[in-house]
Amino acid sequence: MSNILEAKDLNVEYLTRDGNIKAVDGVSFSLGFHETLGLVGESGCGKSTIGLSLLKILPINAKVSGNIFYKDKDMVKMPDNEIRSLRGKEISMIFQDPMTSLDPIMRIKNQFFETIRAHFPKMEESEMVKISSNVLKSIGIDPSRLENYPFEFSGGMRQRVMIALAIVLNPSLLVADEPTTSLDVVVQLQIMEVLKELKDQKDMSMVLITHDLGLVAEIVDKVGIMYAGNLVEFGDVDSIYDDPLHPYTQLLLVSIPNVKLEDMKLKYIKGNLPSLKSPPQGCKFHPRCPFAMDICLKADPPTFAVKGRKVKCWLYKGEKDGSRKTDTASIG
Amino acid sequence: MKTYILTRVILSIPMIFILLTIVFVVLRILPGNPVTAMLGPKAPPEVVKSMEAQLGLDKPIIIQFGDYIANILRGNFGDSTVTTLPVIQELEERFPATLELTIFAMIIAVTIGIFFGSTAAYRYGRPVDAIARIYSIFVYSMPVFWLGIMLQLIFGVWLKALPVSGRASPFMTPDNMYTGLYTIDAILNGQWNVLYDSLLHLVLPSVTLGVVISSVFVRMVRSNVLLSLSSQYVISARSRGIKESKVLYAHALKNAMIPILTIMGLQFALLLGGAVLTETTFSWPGIGSYLVERIRYRDFPAIQGAVVFFALFVVVVSILIDIINAWMDPRVRY
Ligand SMILES: Nc1ncnc2c1ncn2[C@@H]1O[C@H](COP(=O)(O)OP(=O)(O)OP(=O)(O)O)[C@@H](O)[C@H]1O
Ligand SMILES: [Mg+2]
Repeated sequence: MSNILEAKDLNVEYLTRDGNIKAVDGVSFSLGFHETLGLVGESGCGKSTIGLSLLKILPINAKVSGNIFYKDKDMVKMPDNEIRSLRGKEISMIFQDPMTSLDPIMRIKNQFFETIRAHFPKMEESEMVKISSNVLKSIGIDPSRLENYPFEFSGGMRQRVMIALAIVLNPSLLVADEPTTSLDVVVQLQIMEVLKELKDQKDMSMVLITHDLGLVAEIVDKVGIMYAGNLVEFGDVDSIYDDPLHPYTQLLLVSIPNVKLEDMKLKYIKGNLPSLKSPPQGCKFHPRCPFAMDICLKADPPTFAVKGRKVKCWLYKGEKDGSRKTDTASIG
Repeated sequence: MKTYILTRVILSIPMIFILLTIVFVVLRILPGNPVTAMLGPKAPPEVVKSMEAQLGLDKPIIIQFGDYIANILRGNFGDSTVTTLPVIQELEERFPATLELTIFAMIIAVTIGIFFGSTAAYRYGRPVDAIARIYSIFVYSMPVFWLGIMLQLIFGVWLKALPVSGRASPFMTPDNMYTGLYTIDAILNGQWNVLYDSLLHLVLPSVTLGVVISSVFVRMVRSNVLLSLSSQYVISARSRGIKESKVLYAHALKNAMIPILTIMGLQFALLLGGAVLTETTFSWPGIGSYLVERIRYRDFPAIQGAVVFFALFVVVVSILIDIINAWMDPRVRY
């Protein structure tokens, strides 16, 4: 067992009254122990859907196919009972909006207790108090606040509480879905700091979902770039930053406000995310791609292994070393 | 909290005063008065005159109204023109029957509402949900007395399984009365046969009233639980491995109950209308049947007393509901 997590040809479709939405389309990736993966992409590209499917807590209208191996066990086929015993104990998740993620009428204490009891029904209350206090302290919250209700905390504090709740049973994998998006900039950095400490101190693997490549660069080991349900590029963070292969990744990197850019102007990618109900023929990115070729309009590209990375782009067909270079400057 | 309750009580005083005035005026506008109702249309005019004088009905309306208000402020609702007993005493005798019926009906309505409503929400779009929706529309459109008569017919007349009227069989009342609620008093006395008898009598009226009220409950619970099931804290509770039953009842339902309680507080007066009809259908000796009975005799003091009593009941219950609400919802601070 070399990987804690391995997704193979994962597909998630939302069945709706007016058509199906293919939110995740043939995504494969793997994550080693103690590694952190950043999943990056525009709004609506299916990041949260992947996050939710890692705990199998998708909405009822979602249809999943493919495999998600957690410690070599396929969660897609796992019975509900077994998967429930993993949630919160082996795999935890924190969410984008800390203001609504806690039950508003339940004391923080009881939200900790019910989480612990869900996995250790016989644990003494004093023991639960001890565990919860310790984890709160480790995350910078006074244990006396266990008695408080969620509305007595600020947004940043609530996100800390959410993190504490997620890690109270020392899970091996933490899925964080845009944990800082709804917070102000100062608090964002504090929360990122908390996550970084977690990564360093506890032996936790993480999947960090974000649309802000810049914010997570310091903390992630691997990056997966998503576009319209596809994982278009996957590899080590440094190589992706230094040498983005997929045109979309290149555009994403340019669009980050970057001190290296002389004009300091915020660049953005022209066009919109395509409809997931009736995606364009061929490569879903071709309408926005500066390098679109004939084949891109006709056939969806497979994933090519290039320079130890995976790229879903026709530009890399048959190129083992990735010698084909695109000119970043010309598309900025 | 104390000042809140006090404010609520003080605010309810003008409301009750307005109600008193309306009842007073309506009773005097409607044709007939206690004397004509008692003596019939063919009574000799001098007898009518002397009786009206005796009851103070010959005085100018405004004086009558002044007397009436002055008496009520002293806690005196007057004497019944039918029995000559003090109205307050008659109301006290009858109130426990209404209270007992209302409590049992509420238990039934809340149970049906919570289980049916939250199961329907949890199984949104499935057969249970469809059944729940049909149930609540069907029951909502069903007149109370019609349901009551049907149940009487089936369980009383055909199956002969349950009593169809009254609170107790002859000689089956509790020996010592503490609360006036037969079931409670029977338990306190240890009279188990009396308890059994009073429960049997309670079944049909409380099921009738409970089922009728439950239609609103099922709908309210269903839509509010549906809303809270889609909220982020439910997803987040799931993500921590909380059991589905706990997610539904400890999180989704509990949060859904807060708006439900608020609406319930507002609707309680409407529920009492159902109680009046149920009492009449089942000859249940409560304040509802008292009111209907005395309207026939134009028993002005009794009618006025009963209406004020209902109003007070509504005020007390809605304050109680507010207290429960504040206790459930930590964000509420009065
Ligand atoms: N329950 C649902 N039913 C139908 N469609 C859904 C449902 N949930 C999500 N979708 C759709 O699936 C697509 C992917 O959604 P998802 O939430 O995974 O995107 P995301 O990358 O997390 O976006 P964001 O950055 O806005 O959070 C979107 O087009 C969204 O509208
Ligand atoms: Mg999302």
